Amino acid sequence: MSAADRSMVSLTIDGEAVEAPAGDLLIKAAEDNGAYIPRFCWHPRMNPVGMCRMCLVEIETPRGKAIIPSCMQPVNDGMVVHTESAAAKKAQEGVLEFLLLNHPLDCPVCDKGGECPLQDQTMSYGPGESRFVEEKRHFAKPIPISDLVLLDRERCILCARCTRFSDEISGDPLIEFHHRGGDTQVLTFPDEPFTSYFSGNTVQICPVGALTAVPYRFRARPWDLQVAESTGVVHTEGSRLAVHASQNQVLRFLGVDNGATNQGWLSDKERFGFEFIGSPDRLRTPLIREGSGFREAGWGEALDLAGERLRAVIAEQGGGAVAALGGARGTNEDAYALSKFMRTAADSNNLDAQLGDGLEARFLAGLAGRGRIDDLESARTILLWGPDLKETHPILYLRVRRAAQERGASLVIFHPRRTGLDDRAAHKFTYLPGTGPEVLARFAAGEGEFRAAREAMDEGPLAALVGRPGLAEAPRLAESVAAFARRRGGSILPLVHRGNTFGALDMGAAPDLLPGRVTTATDGSAPDLVAAWGDLPVAPGLDALGIAEAAAAGEIGFLILCGSDPVRDMAGFDGGAALSGAGFVLAIDLFLTDSSRRADVVLPALGFAEKKGTVTNLEGRVQMVNRLVPGPGQARADWSVLDDLSARLGRPIGLASEEDITAEIARVAPAYAGVTWDYLEWEAREGAVVPLEGAVQPLRYEPQHADLNGESVGRESGNFSLHLARTMYDDGVMVRHSPSLSRLAPDAAAYMTPAYAASIGLAEGDEVEVPLVAGAVTLPVRFDPTLHEGAVYVPFNQPGMDIRFGVDGPSGGVS
Amino acid sequence: MADTTGTGPLGAFFKGMAVTGRQFIATVFGKGLVTTKYPQEMREKPQRFHGRHVLNRYEDGMEKCIGCELCAGACPARCIYVRGADNPDDRPVSPGERYGFVYEINMLRCIFCGLCVEACPTEAITHTRLFEMSTTNRADAIYTKTELLVDEEGRPNHMFETDRLADFDELGEADGWMRATAPQGRAAYEGQVSWSGSAGVGVRPPEAGQSDLPEEAGEGDGEDRA
Repeated sequence: MSAADRSMVSLTIDGEAVEAPAGDLLIKAAEDNGAYIPRFCWHPRMNPVGMCRMCLVEIETPRGKAIIPSCMQPVNDGMVVHTESAAAKKAQEGVLEFLLLNHPLDCPVCDKGGECPLQDQTMSYGPGESRFVEEKRHFAKPIPISDLVLLDRERCILCARCTRFSDEISGDPLIEFHHRGGDTQVLTFPDEPFTSYFSGNTVQICPVGALTAVPYRFRARPWDLQVAESTGVVHTEGSRLAVHASQNQVLRFLGVDNGATNQGWLSDKERFGFEFIGSPDRLRTPLIREGSGFREAGWGEALDLAGERLRAVIAEQGGGAVAALGGARGTNEDAYALSKFMRTAADSNNLDAQLGDGLEARFLAGLAGRGRIDDLESARTILLWGPDLKETHPILYLRVRRAAQERGASLVIFHPRRTGLDDRAAHKFTYLPGTGPEVLARFAAGEGEFRAAREAMDEGPLAALVGRPGLAEAPRLAESVAAFARRRGGSILPLVHRGNTFGALDMGAAPDLLPGRVTTATDGSAPDLVAAWGDLPVAPGLDALGIAEAAAAGEIGFLILCGSDPVRDMAGFDGGAALSGAGFVLAIDLFLTDSSRRADVVLPALGFAEKKGTVTNLEGRVQMVNRLVPGPGQARADWSVLDDLSARLGRPIGLASEEDITAEIARVAPAYAGVTWDYLEWEAREGAVVPLEGAVQPLRYEPQHADLNGESVGRESGNFSLHLARTMYDDGVMVRHSPSLSRLAPDAAAYMTPAYAASIGLAEGDEVEVPLVAGAVTLPVRFDPTLHEGAVYVPFNQPGMDIRFGVDGPSGGVS
Repeated sequence: MADTTGTGPLGAFFKGMAVTGRQFIATVFGKGLVTTKYPQEMREKPQRFHGRHVLNRYEDGMEKCIGCELCAGACPARCIYVRGADNPDDRPVSPGERYGFVYEINMLRCIFCGLCVEACPTEAITHTRLFEMSTTNRADAIYTKTELLVDEEGRPNHMFETDRLADFDELGEADGWMRATAPQGRAAYEGQVSWSGSAGVGVRPPEAGQSDLPEEAGEGDGEDRA
């Protein structure tokens, strides 16, 4: 409900007549009208609690003047408020003196010093001197309450921001007030650390230095930080964040409040993943294979070698022998360069930004009825049939939790095991992986236990979040769910894994897509694109799985890995076989990954915070990413590498700068018309959802109900159904090179219910061999009673798991 | 030529030469000499002389610097680079949680204003009266913790160890600039020791003598603020 929908009330604040929406709290109404009231506990994204008493103001009541906390008082018509009267000042000074009674004033060694609301407001509103001469309260300092957060109870002013965040916003109430009374302190419960995926937010909103982050501890002071606002690319929600760097080292990310997306919050993976940027393992120079290892080389030599081989492959085998994987981790500009390079210089349609673990490219790019994250605010019913949002889409998780908890939407979840949102679900169905189509059919018909949930679908605005619950699940199932929701007028939010997948697909990083949500340029829907790109390859391209199979069969002469790691990150294929089978592998990467280690030429790329550009989130919202630090060594942006390589083929793609590329996209890609840097930086405060008004989106894909009987692999007698799913922390490149996060990954294991384990003669801790595409993998058995009977859950890509691990379907046999 | 007091050109000439002559005689035979035979002789420097910095230690040898970077933040020439780190539990470098892990001053940029000394919450950085800092390359002008930190006896690590002119003993006296700018320098603190003890110096003598100054006398009641 926006302010415009509400009636306005008139009140007087500091002698000025103002209007504010009815129901607004006085502290907010005053701030909106230019009268800042000091506060510690009140936070615009959380419910008021009135703990700190800092926001005391004087109001005139029929019984005379009264001092009240403005964060607990809604505005009333005719209210007369004094925020700076002598009485209000005296009250505020008294509160500050009181808050400082036990505050240690160790500001010089405190990470918050210099950006501390307690410091600032003591300077602005404090009494100047304290009358307190007694000994202050002492606690051990600091104590770690998780692997990422330190707690200093001496500094705490008991504002309850952290406890309220964990309880109201993130849904893991793992910290609470203990020892109530004079010794009140925030603590975790015994033997239960603060292992929230969102713990970093409590550090950011702490108004003192009581909660500090381990990765930022003593790394810098606020006055030597440079700041640039940017957009996160770890998750697909497009979280707005501020990059802070000192001495060209990125030292932290802070969440920025974009009302349409992350509302100020970040997941810990996004927040603390900054560490990989400054990792000493980053590639600094081009590498050329020499025997079993590499030798360092100059850019000219490496590009000459790659260009020569590519030219030979195109001449001898044609463009169909060239393929590229990747693009979903970078900017739209890099993806556009890759797409243009493949289509115009390499004459090939073989490129894919998804590594076989996502959804249909046309479905993702051209989805009719694609919703906005904000639709969750007004939804009556939310249908979630996809991965566990808490593990893979943390910002959506927070928004769905808020919708269910604060806005009263009824949440219906289908998933093979427990999810982070179960406690807020009105209906939760645990099903056996592989039986999804049958479950959907019964749900759509409203049979048996599904009747109440089915009725909820027709109650009002419906928002459906659809994706693959596990990597072994058929991708078309999500489309069938979308088709079901679409028939009820629901808005659809598609769920895929890699941060800029949507941007990459919109830039044509898929075999059957071209930039700007165009399928084929020959149908006349993108005349500017045809004019700019010239003749396009006509042969149909291969998707990631097709490329991998063709490479393993020796049909790919030149394979480009653009920031992708198929060996580790590709479920359903033995990526190693593809790399050995490909004639020549060129990797453009940040690190020597298990894939780039097997390349013939490795080129160092610029990463996040080192390049400027745009990214697109799951709603189609385009936002800027910004540069703040230089890259390591000789690293270069992907687009400029591809531009140089195309020049060596004699078919230059003619890209000059990041801003030029964005301008070119705005010119040639129909759905991106009008999206320029100027527009994004000056007009679109919350990002621009494409297509903008007046722009055309040629591809409109209506989700179809798919008959999945052929695709879905049923459970055979004596076999199990595999639920292979991603977790927040895994052994991916980013987590592995972020020291604070890498130790948080759960171990590789096979989870099953105790009953099912007993039925096949296994006990907890036994080793079980799970046969998969690229050979079997041996994992220890763990119990998970929340799984559907007969299912085996294996977290994807964990440390200690065989790197050739992959699956092709939801079934296999236990031996 | 007898008229040496006249106003003619020659008269003025002799008048001026008379002054020169008097100064000449006073310099050669009297006490009017203003130059010294540097580097054979060293002039006594004023108490508030802003020489090169040192990082002090407490009497037990712990470093006073806590790596808070307030000096770097106050520095108008941006010549100080500090990085803090966690004190190791087994061998703490400074009292408390944090110590100065990196401390560098670029003496080529430093303008010796003393704002770092004023900003320091632990009296870790102070001026000395050492001023001989010439180097033969720019890198040597960047003083690191090795050069800045005093040794266990509180003696500064002077680049010219054999410099017979450097008076290391004068460091035992309180730093004049600290006294002048810190709140403890006020007359209200007369008779109180407000400086933490330093290695090689010990506890400095209490503030004294300022109550003689008429404009400062009777200002405030120091006991309440201690």
